[in-house]
Amino acid sequence: MSNYDIKSEEKFMGQNAWFSLFMGVTLLIISVYPMLNQTSAPLLFLGTAAFLGSFFMFVIRGGFTWRMKYHLTYKDEYLNTIDTIAYKHVVLGLLFSMGGVYLLSDTLALEVSHSMMATFYLAVMSLIYGVSILWQSKD
Amino acid sequence: MQNKIAKYRKEAGLSQQDLADLIAVSRKTISTVETARFTPSVIIALKIAKHFNTSVESLFVLDKND
Repeated sequence: MSNYDIKSEEKFMGQNAWFSLFMGVTLLIISVYPMLNQTSAPLLFLGTAAFLGSFFMFVIRGGFTWRMKYHLTYKDEYLNTIDTIAYKHVVLGLLFSMGGVYLLSDTLALEVSHSMMATFYLAVMSLIYGVSILWQSKD
Repeated sequence: MQNKIAKYRKEAGLSQQDLADLIAVSRKTISTVETARFTPSVIIALKIAKHFNTSVESLFVLDKND
């Protein structure tokens, strides 16, 4: 594996972590705000625009990472390890958030749609992945 | 597990990025191995030892808890 590939992987992981955070916050706003204000249409439009904007910004800044022949896992040992640990954190976070929703389901069920709950779970997963990667990447 | 990689690296006048480039790993790998937050594979340990022309045992020292 060449040094260029490793540096590309490091760069990609950093971009990926920040993108996950941005996406997580955006999805969280999309899913939670309508519940609080009993509205959804304008925010969904804005949220979708923000999500697509941030996605393309990160794809462009990340340097079109498909050129680095990225396949499923990182080849560098440490990056691969923290990526795997981050996925474990994501699963744990998802289980806890699903458990919380299960306990609150009676009060939530009437006001929250399935799509909002799915968006909320995606937000939690994205946020945990981004935070986990950044936390583990610190020197 | 403690290690003396930082000592060897500084004596050789190398930065973390230099050492990472020489043994084809990421700088974060070197950084976290030096601070004992990450235990590398045998392959990486051997590569580092080979680069400094020493043995793995002289680079890595087991703790009482290991």
